[in-house]
Amino acid sequence: MIVELGHFALVLAFALALVQSTVPLIGARSGNQRMMAVAGPVTIAGFVLTAFAFAVLTVSYIQSDFSVVNVWENSHSLKPMIYKVTGTWGNHEGSMLLWVLILAAFGALVTVFSGNLPATLRANVLAVQGMIGAAFFLFILATSNPFARLDPAPFEGRDLNPLLQDIGLAIHPPLLYLGYVGFSISFSFAVAALIDGKIDAAWARWVRPWTLAAWVFLTGGIAMGSYWAYYELGWGGFWFWDPVENASFLPWLSGTALLHSAIVMEKRSALKIWTLLLAILTFSLSLLGTFLVRSGVLTSVHAFATDPTRGVFILAILMVFIGGSLALFAIRAHLLTAGGLFQPISREGALVLNNLFLTTATATVLIGTLYPLLVEAVTGDKISVGPPFFNMTFGPLVVPLLAVVPFGPLLAWKRGDIAAVSQRLFFAFGIALLATLGAFVFIDRVSVFAALGIGLSVWLVAGAFTDLALKAGFGKVSPSVALSRLFGLPRSVFGTALAHAGLGLTTLGIVSVVTLETEKFTSMKPGETVQVADYTIRFDGISPFQGPNYTEDRGHFTFLNSAGRELGELFSSKRLYPARQMPTTEAGIRTRGLSQLYISLGDPTVDGGIVVRIWWKPLVLLIWLGGVLMMIGGTVSLLDRRLRIGAPAARRSAAVGEAKALPS
Amino acid sequence: MTRKKKRLAVIGGGLAFLGLAAALTFYALGQRTSYFYMPGDLVAAELTPGQRIRLGGLVEKGTIERGQGTNVSFQVTDHENSVKVAYNGILPDLFREDQGVVTEGTFGTDGVFVADSVLAKHDENYMPREVADGLKAKGVWQEED
Amino acid sequence: MFFWIAAAVLTLGACLAVLVPLTRTQAGRDADRDHDIEVYRDQLAELDREAARGSIGESEAAEARAEIGRRILRLADQQSDQASSSGGRFTRFAGTAAVLSIPLLSWGVYATIGSPDLPAMPLQARIEQDPEKNTVDELVARAEAHLAENPSDGRGWDVLAPIYYRMGRHQDAVTAYRNAIRLSGVSAARETGLGEALAASSGGLITSDAQAAFERALALDPQFPKARYLLAAAFMQDGKPDQAVAELQRMMEGLPEESPWRDVAQQAMRSVNAEVEREQTATGPTREQVQDAAGMDDADRAAMIEGMVSSLDEKLRANPDDPAGWQRLIQSYVVLGREADAVEALGRGIVAMGSDSDKGAELEAFGASLGLKPGEPEKE
Repeated sequence: MIVELGHFALVLAFALALVQSTVPLIGARSGNQRMMAVAGPVTIAGFVLTAFAFAVLTVSYIQSDFSVVNVWENSHSLKPMIYKVTGTWGNHEGSMLLWVLILAAFGALVTVFSGNLPATLRANVLAVQGMIGAAFFLFILATSNPFARLDPAPFEGRDLNPLLQDIGLAIHPPLLYLGYVGFSISFSFAVAALIDGKIDAAWARWVRPWTLAAWVFLTGGIAMGSYWAYYELGWGGFWFWDPVENASFLPWLSGTALLHSAIVMEKRSALKIWTLLLAILTFSLSLLGTFLVRSGVLTSVHAFATDPTRGVFILAILMVFIGGSLALFAIRAHLLTAGGLFQPISREGALVLNNLFLTTATATVLIGTLYPLLVEAVTGDKISVGPPFFNMTFGPLVVPLLAVVPFGPLLAWKRGDIAAVSQRLFFAFGIALLATLGAFVFIDRVSVFAALGIGLSVWLVAGAFTDLALKAGFGKVSPSVALSRLFGLPRSVFGTALAHAGLGLTTLGIVSVVTLETEKFTSMKPGETVQVADYTIRFDGISPFQGPNYTEDRGHFTFLNSAGRELGELFSSKRLYPARQMPTTEAGIRTRGLSQLYISLGDPTVDGGIVVRIWWKPLVLLIWLGGVLMMIGGTVSLLDRRLRIGAPAARRSAAVGEAKALPS
Repeated sequence: MTRKKKRLAVIGGGLAFLGLAAALTFYALGQRTSYFYMPGDLVAAELTPGQRIRLGGLVEKGTIERGQGTNVSFQVTDHENSVKVAYNGILPDLFREDQGVVTEGTFGTDGVFVADSVLAKHDENYMPREVADGLKAKGVWQEED
Repeated sequence: MFFWIAAAVLTLGACLAVLVPLTRTQAGRDADRDHDIEVYRDQLAELDREAARGSIGESEAAEARAEIGRRILRLADQQSDQASSSGGRFTRFAGTAAVLSIPLLSWGVYATIGSPDLPAMPLQARIEQDPEKNTVDELVARAEAHLAENPSDGRGWDVLAPIYYRMGRHQDAVTAYRNAIRLSGVSAARETGLGEALAASSGGLITSDAQAAFERALALDPQFPKARYLLAAAFMQDGKPDQAVAELQRMMEGLPEESPWRDVAQQAMRSVNAEVEREQTATGPTREQVQDAAGMDDADRAAMIEGMVSSLDEKLRANPDDPAGWQRLIQSYVVLGREADAVEALGRGIVAMGSDSDKGAELEAFGASLGLKPGEPEKE
């Protein structure tokens, strides 16, 4: 019964989403209080129902209820419990349900926190959220119903794709969806403003925290996904410029641009129309990402089973929302008043420059991702645009952006003094220069790129901390005063510095792995050794191992330092999951400081050895730790009191009272 | 500089930047893309020596040869023509005879395709899209339901 | 019934979420500009803090203050242009439509795509169904559930392994035997079972893994007849009849008088000799084919073996006077785990030979040595 109740709850949530997308909107158009007031309770009820449906599906997975097609196709009664739970969203239907659940949750959050929003804005925003929800509920019910049933129930399930039986799956998709779907809030706000034909002052205050929250999640999702692919696929790569990766990277790039333009809008009421457009574009790119991943129109190393009919449906959703919102933008944008003026050299100007770079980079990646589709549609040729293209275009765009990042936070609003700022950054520049020279002399005399890249990374990190030091007044006032001023700084200043430093660390990790990594690809027999970077790796042999739902052949390795002392062991294996007769490669990874030794096992050779691929990846962990630091920066900034959504209720009524007392 | 001139300079700079980025993008698209071929298409294709392409098809039965050390070779076929592919690397887990595969690389002077990457598929239901399309067009493969 | 009540409650709740706000009088609405003014006041306060910290110049701060002040004044000039309404016929009409749409839509959609009568069937429920009705599959599933919770129960794996084998789940049998060996230690019976399961999962071909298992079993107990017998079969399959005969002789020597294995061994010895004689005219898999098969992957090998067996079956239907052929077919079916087919083939063979003829009796004895009786399928 419970399964069908979950199914029914999902249908009911769809009906509520339709009400949510119409009634408040009509209310807002006609100024009808009661109809606008419907938005809140309906949103909450929709969320409760969706959460119930999701919980039911999860329970079906936990209990191995194979009368549910989705569970039967993706689970197995012997699967470890954690993967039974994560398997709920480890497949198309379940992950779409998670998608709408997160959408409904964000809607509910807006409802809860929007007590002090103008009523019409609130009604419009929730109505637009309702429209997105209704479209995706319809998509799920029509093409990807997770509650389809089987009668009689089969005895055993078909198991989850072994590549997905990993802790990475527990974290990566939910984070990614929180990011994608989080941008729907800024989108809804943008569309609501266009419907209303005006941007309230409250509007700008709202969009930034929501964008920031979505951005934090998306950053985490991308970093997590990259790490997951790195250790699970066994190829040793952290980024492949694959369409599915680009699909998540595109909204991140434009979301980062949105984040920065929203600062200008919040602080200086400038760039209103541009911010609005970015908000629409960012969510559109999120939808595009969903479409690319689900439809299988592009060949991807990450694509799992895909279904073209679903693709057409999402394409329709995509066109309605992107087309509709852009059309609305074209018709209504002129009603919005332009904001404050500023000089080209100013904080605003720096943020505009940031936006220029980021949106151009977004466009480049978008073109590279969609170009194969375009060519195939026009000429029928099948082409692929791979890493060489992206390295050639994305690199030149991002390097100058990174180089100017430290200037931004130091420039004054409205009109800044570039010469003065350069002077203040002199110290950071010196450190970066030293790092460059040091890297060139001590680490690698061959690669100028490596040295310059390391210098650039250090420049970013040092620049970020220079900002903090200067704002606290180190050097100008006594250290103790400066220290107390440092702790008194707004959290958003810390957030900025941490996020920019995180960017520097990620750059450092990428530069280091790309230019300084060592790789050995050879065949080894038991007892043989191979030299990789400063380590000697000894192959000790292969032994079979029996896991809960797989068997594997483990290759044992010992690694020794140059003096011949044993530092540890690691094993890399070839696994077989009998339920699907599916083999996987489990890379052997050993962390030393921030660097990693990575061993991937190949096939046995004719002469009794085995093919192995061994990498020494210096500072590779920084790639993801930088991402984590960016997330922390975003979170710290989000916790800034000034950014907190709305004011406490008591203060609010007081404020309104005082406002009424103002001369009018 | 007057305000107007300043504004013009800023807008001009922005446009020049965009133009430069667009030029770079289209240059890169012309240079850094690789075409996809099935073995049967190669006759008609005019390949310049050293041109990177992607070659897809099925792994022909009984042609996988493991050579010295880490080298491996196999034939990629569309059931009409076959091409020998040499690869020095770890084959994907789901690389099997009679399964779809996409390889990327260049042709050597001896007519052997030297691949630097070999992609099979991620799960047992999935066939690389180009390969599936190509085989369907040739009528040698049908999607199973 | 419970489902319909619960569904009705959910629907009612959903309708109330729409109905309640529509009927309740809304508190007096704040004008939009009140919200704006609040924001501007916060901005002023923030500006003051920034100025105090020195992160904005005095003149800029003054300018910004002036700008915010201008905005506040501009707001104050505006009249609230939107008339606020909260009642009227329109609300009642739209509200009724919205409330009614929820049950109509949800029950309508659910009626077309739902299966309200289908109960949930979690693993526990499937296992706990009336044991009388339990099939072997379900009993096995119960054992599996037990082992999933106690994966280190060696005895459990020991019991389950031969059952898997007889059910034809050879790969699972391999896993179960391996677990049993890992947890309860090696024994001749377990190693032999493992070898047998390995062979069956390769479509009846005794692979080197399987042969190694038999050899391990014999190292533990040189008198274990089944291992000896299967090792002989392995040699036979490799085209080494001499070694096969030697193994069978060793087996005979170790067997007590009354052992049922004696017949089996004698029978096997006879068929080895017959095989050697008939080498040239052999139907079915040649040695080369078998060797080819050894290089294939599991699926291909299974397909090849199935193909060979069915072609042998066809041949015997057309030309039934071939006692050795019948024996091979029956043996093949047994190895493939298709016991019903083996019994059926045995029946057909006996009929073809003539049930009271010598050849028929011989075939029946052969069947008996494999534990088969014609026309009376064994119960599991």
